[in-house]
Amino acid sequence: MGRQILHRLLISVPALLGVLFLCFCLLQVVPADPAMIIAGPDAKAETIAAIRLELGLDRPIPIQFVDYIGRVIQGDLGRSIISNKMVIEELGHTIGPTVELMLGAMLMAVPCGLALGTLAAVKRGSITDRIIMAFSVAGVSMPVFFIGLILIQYVGFKMALLPFTGRTGPVWAGGLPSLILPAVTLGSVLIGPIARLTRTAVLEVLGADFVRTARAKGLRETVVIVHHALRNALIPVVTLIGLQAAFLLGGAVVTETMFAWPGVGRLAVGAIVSSDFPTAQGAIMILAMAFLMINLIVDVLYVYLDPRVQRG
Amino acid sequence: MTVDILPAPSSVAAETEPSLPGRASVLRRLARDPVALTAAVLLTAIALAAVFAPWVAPYDPYYTDLSKAMQAPSEAHWFGTDNTGRDILSRVIFGTRNTLMLGLVGVIIGGFLGGLLGILAAFYRRLDGWIMRLVDIMLAFPAILIGLAVAAISGAGLTAVIIALVVATVPDVARVARGAAVGVMGQEFMEAGRAVGVSDATLIWRYLTLNCISTIFVFLTLRFGQIILIGSALGFLGMGAQPPTAELGMMAAQGRDFLFMAPHIATIPSLAIFVIVLAANLLGDVLRDVLDPRLQQ
Repeated sequence: MGRQILHRLLISVPALLGVLFLCFCLLQVVPADPAMIIAGPDAKAETIAAIRLELGLDRPIPIQFVDYIGRVIQGDLGRSIISNKMVIEELGHTIGPTVELMLGAMLMAVPCGLALGTLAAVKRGSITDRIIMAFSVAGVSMPVFFIGLILIQYVGFKMALLPFTGRTGPVWAGGLPSLILPAVTLGSVLIGPIARLTRTAVLEVLGADFVRTARAKGLRETVVIVHHALRNALIPVVTLIGLQAAFLLGGAVVTETMFAWPGVGRLAVGAIVSSDFPTAQGAIMILAMAFLMINLIVDVLYVYLDPRVQRG
Repeated sequence: MTVDILPAPSSVAAETEPSLPGRASVLRRLARDPVALTAAVLLTAIALAAVFAPWVAPYDPYYTDLSKAMQAPSEAHWFGTDNTGRDILSRVIFGTRNTLMLGLVGVIIGGFLGGLLGILAAFYRRLDGWIMRLVDIMLAFPAILIGLAVAAISGAGLTAVIIALVVATVPDVARVARGAAVGVMGQEFMEAGRAVGVSDATLIWRYLTLNCISTIFVFLTLRFGQIILIGSALGFLGMGAQPPTAELGMMAAQGRDFLFMAPHIATIPSLAIFVIVLAANLLGDVLRDVLDPRLQQ
């Protein structure tokens, strides 16, 4: 198992370099001179020249790229043009809320999706099955912000049940109410695909010999479904979560912007709107790395869940 | 010996695989399935309204009239008016035009590039590793991030969204195309074509591409809905069309500021996106079932 994980880690190196290269290019290809951007609009020529020298902008591009990687490893992502704080500091404040939001969304979506998908499979062909499947197709087709707008308007504003702007603090310090609406918004995108795939996977497993054996042994139906069918059906579902990571991340950017959630996505959007290039670059890099990380975790989980992969 | 002696590759494929149903069977299936039929009719109506927007829209989508700002849906304005008194129905019709155009351009360019990469990877085994690594790297960037990155470089606008949508489409299409093309490469007619000295270009186009095209097409119709969702999310974030241009995602974002006073300004464009994507997804599912059941796996 260790070897598989190591192999998977090695495979992600080119993708990681690709991410770094694109982020490096971000500052290279902007229409303006990076030194001028960093120095700000009112900077003197000497300041710009000093920054140019400091950043090594007079050196060949490949050397600059290697330098850039070195700086990233040391955590030096430059300074924000707007707040004048170090970008890494800004990211440090925002990464926690983003992780919290994504975990919250998954904690909401995965059990719901599994339960609905299993129910649909067990009640195959019934009206329950049809309703769940219709709901799941509708969920896949719904823009994240539509769900957010409805929740903000009804649950947040009209019924005043939950807060809908900002984050009052970490979950363990009374921040849970402010997390619920953003997490439900983001998670609802995932319920549909998970339910759909779980249904297919459970249906496939329910016809398998070992399920028949389990039933023949006289096990209760709940045990057969939860322990035998659902557990095996989890494998494709875990893969799906990896595949959906892109949507989860994209959805997080939209959700954070809607709910004024102080995460990396909102930081990135704000930085782009205000032409704060170093911050935008850092935030995009962190988001891309988070995406690589999710896929890595999913692959490792996959090896853990499916012993056949370990042997193969 | 010339190529003409060989049977047409597509007919050979048709014999070796279970027959691929034609247009007639798609129509038959559509006629039988009320949901799919509704989706098809709805999507056609939406597309026609978008194409003929200047003639269909009841008002000028850019004409502002502050005396009529934020009116609820009425007989004069079916979808109400926005914060500057513009007719929302007219803006939704024009917005649909931009949103559909973004999706189509993204899917067509992305489908072409992805298909080309996948087919070349299957045909030239030497390139396979390189192309697939490139695809892996592209997969490391979620579309929204690409959109944000391009917007950071070149400024927000439709170009940023189109680039993001193309980059989002290419890697998945490349994988599907490669999978389909590897299957065709194993067929005897490919070997026969090579044996009689058919040029690479002809082999790739007439023998390989024409046999993979239905798989790629079905996959693209399935992706279309997702692409529209990504495009409108970028519009919502302000990375796409800039005001006053009508684009559904951006209209929803603008309406958000007036959500508590006039919820219809944000809700109606969002609902329009939902209807378009839902219809596209339902239709895509039917097309897949009829044209290429293998993709269901």
